Amino acid sequence: MPATDFQGTFGRSFLSFRRDQVDSNTPAAGSSSHSMEAELDSFQRQVAEKFTDLNASGELLSLEWIGKLLDSFLCCQEEFRAIVFNHRSQISTSPMNRLISEYFERSIKALDVCNAIRDGIEQIRQWQKLSDIVISALDSRRTVGEGQLRRAKKALVDLAIGMLDEKETSLAHRNRSFGRVKDSHSHHRSMGHFRSLSWSVSRSWSASKQLQALASNLNTPRQNDVVASNGLAVPVYTMASVLLFVMWVLVAAFPCQDRGLQVNFFVPRQFQWAAPVMSLHDKIVEESKRRDRKNCCGLLKEIGRIEKSSRVMNELIDSIHFPMSEEKEIEVKQRVEELVEVHEALKNGLDPFERKVREVFHRIVRSRTENLDSLC
Amino acid sequence: MAENGEEKLLAVARHIAKTLGHNESMADDILQIFSTFDGRFSREKLSEGQPGEDGSTVSALERALNSLDSQISRFVAADQPIWSDPADSAAFLDAIDELVNITREWSHLANEKPVGACLARADEMLQQAMFRVEEEFRSLMERGAESFAVSNHRLDSDEDEEEVEGDDDYDGDQIPVAKPLTDYDLIIDALPSATINDLHEMAKRMLAAGFGKSCSHVYSACRREFLEESLSRLGLKKLSIEEVHKMTWQELEDEIERWIKSANVALRILFPSERRLCDRVFFGFSSAADLSFMEVCRGSAVQILNFADAVAIGSRSPERLFKVLDVFETMRDLMGEFESVFSDQFCLVLKNEAVTIWKRLGEAVRGIFMELENLIRRDPAKAAVPGGGLHPITRYVMNYLRAACRSRQTLEQVFEESNGVPSKDSTLLTVQMSWIMELLESNLEVKSKVYKDPALCYLFLMNNGRYIVQKVKDGDLGLLLGEDWIRKHNAKVRQYHSSYQRSAWNKMLGLLKVDNTAAGMNGLGKTMKEKLKQFNVQFDETCKVHSTWVVFDEQLREELRISLARLLLPAYGNFIGRFQNLGDLGKGKNADKYIKYGVEDIEACINELFKGSTTARK
Repeated sequence: MPATDFQGTFGRSFLSFRRDQVDSNTPAAGSSSHSMEAELDSFQRQVAEKFTDLNASGELLSLEWIGKLLDSFLCCQEEFRAIVFNHRSQISTSPMNRLISEYFERSIKALDVCNAIRDGIEQIRQWQKLSDIVISALDSRRTVGEGQLRRAKKALVDLAIGMLDEKETSLAHRNRSFGRVKDSHSHHRSMGHFRSLSWSVSRSWSASKQLQALASNLNTPRQNDVVASNGLAVPVYTMASVLLFVMWVLVAAFPCQDRGLQVNFFVPRQFQWAAPVMSLHDKIVEESKRRDRKNCCGLLKEIGRIEKSSRVMNELIDSIHFPMSEEKEIEVKQRVEELVEVHEALKNGLDPFERKVREVFHRIVRSRTENLDSLC
Repeated sequence: MAENGEEKLLAVARHIAKTLGHNESMADDILQIFSTFDGRFSREKLSEGQPGEDGSTVSALERALNSLDSQISRFVAADQPIWSDPADSAAFLDAIDELVNITREWSHLANEKPVGACLARADEMLQQAMFRVEEEFRSLMERGAESFAVSNHRLDSDEDEEEVEGDDDYDGDQIPVAKPLTDYDLIIDALPSATINDLHEMAKRMLAAGFGKSCSHVYSACRREFLEESLSRLGLKKLSIEEVHKMTWQELEDEIERWIKSANVALRILFPSERRLCDRVFFGFSSAADLSFMEVCRGSAVQILNFADAVAIGSRSPERLFKVLDVFETMRDLMGEFESVFSDQFCLVLKNEAVTIWKRLGEAVRGIFMELENLIRRDPAKAAVPGGGLHPITRYVMNYLRAACRSRQTLEQVFEESNGVPSKDSTLLTVQMSWIMELLESNLEVKSKVYKDPALCYLFLMNNGRYIVQKVKDGDLGLLLGEDWIRKHNAKVRQYHSSYQRSAWNKMLGLLKVDNTAAGMNGLGKTMKEKLKQFNVQFDETCKVHSTWVVFDEQLREELRISLARLLLPAYGNFIGRFQNLGDLGKGKNADKYIKYGVEDIEACINELFKGSTTARK
């Protein structure tokens, strides 16, 4: 089903559209149940294909891979949108009207996750700035002096603190710069201000609760619903599951407030796409349990690399005594190279990725708006 | 000896040239002036003194560095803030400048070991110095923001007279206090002018020494915090889309009020003020200024936009129209500010977001009208009003539209943004309004069919139709729909009127026709007697029923009565007259026996019509 842009015909020229609606309330003459079945099957297959592909290619949880995941989501979303449009006469009757409006109410929760992820991306940008300072301090043509090391060290300490998982900031409340007396009014600052950025959400917002809300009542469609809706209940369930999964991955990968991954995500095997999605899910859960990633602030591969290379650099700097041996000097240069490598890739990828997240946001909104427009 | 003295003189001359000359060519000019001044200051001699392989000049470098080292180390080790004393800070900066100059001067000989060692040492000193400068920079920024925070609270209040408590407790520095907010043409000096100058001097050195990123980082962190605190003091909350979605309408209205105020203050005062500050602190380094500004304002701008977005995405319940329009109008009015404040390369994304969200608010308004259409369509048919009076939905819709049309200009704008195609003579808003009227009227027609009595059906339509026209006539809605529409609908009401009359009274009227072709005088009398009897019954019945019906509009009621009177009274009078003149109606029977009502009585009954029973009265 070609995903054409329906903007021009869909609910905008309300007079003509409304009159169309009245006519199309009777089951559309051309769509036999056979072609509808084919359409719905094709959707299931497409979802399965996308997720099989995600299993097979790319580095799991890298920025690029997650970008691919978002692309897949957008494709599935377009297909879904087409299906909803093609059968809009059915959408306004029971049980579809209930199922669809539930889906779109659910999708609002996803919008908040998208916004929270933007915060997470901004956090990463802040770390990049600190890394830039480290790199510029050490990446000089001259030999590295004590002052430069000191500067690099300070930035690395800031970076380490900035990358602490939120739960651990209570342990790390200490002066950020050497020898500076704490300002008298700093006691007004709460933990949130200790990070260089505060979240754009209220203190009570929780990514983990948001995911749980997305997952709540996400049940496989009841048989009588499937029959009564001519099978349309299935794509709704599919889309809702895909939405949940994508949001779950985003929360898993990026720093956000109250980032918990405890969500009951299970898709029964009867669905074509269940196997590839569950496989990805299991791989990611495994990743989250790994010793070295257990308390990280985000499972994004690049975050792990920043963490590692900055930690190594930090240790190296701590081990340096002046005058610096030539060995150490070489090592420093090597570590700087590594740091540069890690950041170059991220620097180029982060902006387009953020745009993609924003695109997901806009499409979800648009899809919902179209649906509201079409309800007569 | 003399040579040594001359050496010294030349060295001094060179030194003067280097310190006074802010760049190479200026230094050159100064040397040129010297050379014309005194023969000893020939260009060759002066340039001879350039750092060379001569060990003595390297030692001059070392001496210079030693001197600078002791100065700089003293400052770096100081406990007190260097910038608390203007003489100290000036001396510190001078030493740094000197260090930078020397480094620049000798850098081309960095390959030579002794020079290289000195330069490394110089770099080390520079690092130490910059470290300290960064600290001083941070503490100066924080101190400055602190004192402003107190006077800042005036932004919260709308009162002109509110005094700042404890203002005098702060150090007697002349700190500009923000005046009470009466209009937005206010320029706030975010920090005291002297502080800004100091910060600029520091930033200049840091950026030149490659410490620009740290400088920008410190600057942005401090100002961002200040900005966020200012906004939260204005009452702007951090709300998720879902939280906004779930709010009660009253809560949301309050939140929107606060948002409107915060958005205006942010876009018209706070952001421009931050821009000015960036430009002053990072004067001469526009890229650093742009970047820092974006860092400072991004979070707050996103917060403001997120709320507007949440309102746009929220429910489309028709009661929300006016507040959503408020948000739309605020965004529209602030677009200019968004354009000018976020005009640089880094802020393009923010500006585009603002436009997107503004458009989405327009969509939301259109969505609200669609919801209104749904409401009308879905209003149940069976709930008809007893007595045929004004239906609640008519009242609701008409008053709603009248109120909406007060924001006519904004609504025109909202509808023009959509992709619809207007016809030649009417705007899209007109089309929308006409459509709603059509829907309402269809709904009313369906409702009218619930009445079993067709007369009541027409009365109902007449009542509601009249109300509609009244509400349209005087106001923006009438201007939108046009004279033609009003004329047509008045005609409709008149049509309902005649239909009512016909269906309820024609039969009776028929009875009153004097038939001259009756088969003989005896027959006529008998027929007339019959007819009169029937008339009386029907008239009684009708009056009884129709007096419980309602016509809310006084003028319309009068029109109906007058019209009926004009219809009935002459015919009745005529009939009665003829009847009475018939004479012989049987053995001694009097015509009067059969005449229940006189003409005046008929009139009186008519005047009792449409008053409504006590329960049906509207």
